[in-house]
Amino acid sequence: MIHYLLFAVFFGLLLLGIHRKVIARIQRRPGPPVWQEILHMFKFSFKSTWIPQTASETLFVAVVLIAIGIWTAAFFIVLAGGSLLIIFGIYMLHKIVEHGFGLSSGSPYGKFGGVRSVISAASEIPLFVSVAAITLFTKSLSISDIIAYQEVSGPLILVIPLVAVAMYMVIVSKMPFGPFSIVESKELVSGYKTEHFGVWRAGLEICNGLKTYVLLMTFILVFIGAVPFWLMLVLMVLIVVTLSFVCALCPMLSPFDSVTVQTLITAVMIVYVALLWWLL
Amino acid sequence: MMLLSGFAGIAATALWALNLMPLLYYEGLLVVAFPLFVLSTGLWWMARQRDADIPFLGY
Repeated sequence: MIHYLLFAVFFGLLLLGIHRKVIARIQRRPGPPVWQEILHMFKFSFKSTWIPQTASETLFVAVVLIAIGIWTAAFFIVLAGGSLLIIFGIYMLHKIVEHGFGLSSGSPYGKFGGVRSVISAASEIPLFVSVAAITLFTKSLSISDIIAYQEVSGPLILVIPLVAVAMYMVIVSKMPFGPFSIVESKELVSGYKTEHFGVWRAGLEICNGLKTYVLLMTFILVFIGAVPFWLMLVLMVLIVVTLSFVCALCPMLSPFDSVTVQTLITAVMIVYVALLWWLL
Repeated sequence: MMLLSGFAGIAATALWALNLMPLLYYEGLLVVAFPLFVLSTGLWWMARQRDADIPFLGY
């Protein structure tokens, strides 16, 4: 189990490295090597580290522990075929953690990043509509039940493609350099993580690797079903490549536009789910 | 802390492999021990510590 957890961290970081590489190639730059995020994690862990004078020391350190802890828990819940609602609850917790990252440092850039992470919670709303649509068909929120449903009725991506698109948009909003990445916008330096450097940033990198792996694994299990392990890894890489195209070709939206677009997606999804409910 | 969390993780893995610990407890322990191990390992092998600095306020 612990070996799979470590694998998930490193493979998630590799996926983020592939993401950066593909974006760079689309923009005709050589880009970093695909293992750059893994090197980043090690590099940060060796750097001299301290806590800024203006920081709230307890919160400053605790958010890093909580960030890794919640995604470790999410990883185990998905593996156990647990409830989708708990995974989405962890999504929401992650927003609070991002907020904590920003506010704990005492840096104005971190604070702006923290505030924007709350604004970007709008990206979570299509998620709940997706859950409603999935429940209409599977009559359950348990990932193991959803997988069992797909073994009988075929992949949900073919049954409710728009819901898969909405979930895909949620993953887009979580990817770095994307149109909805307002929490890491360059005018905020590094956003909520500006002051978390050195060992703290290494912890955050581990959290990001794990988060990417869990999000993609959840997407595959919920919309495609149980697949062989090697195929799951191939699908993760393919999904990341498509995400990279979206991120490379779409400009980063302003916070207001980001929320507007995500709210529009939610509105379309609500109409779609209402239609599904009426037809069923 | 590094030794404690590392030992807890290894001991829990061994106990789980020998069917002496339920999976749920094992996973719960890893949720707590893994972040502690990551940060304490980093704080142990990082470069020499310096005094606290003021936050970054721009170039």
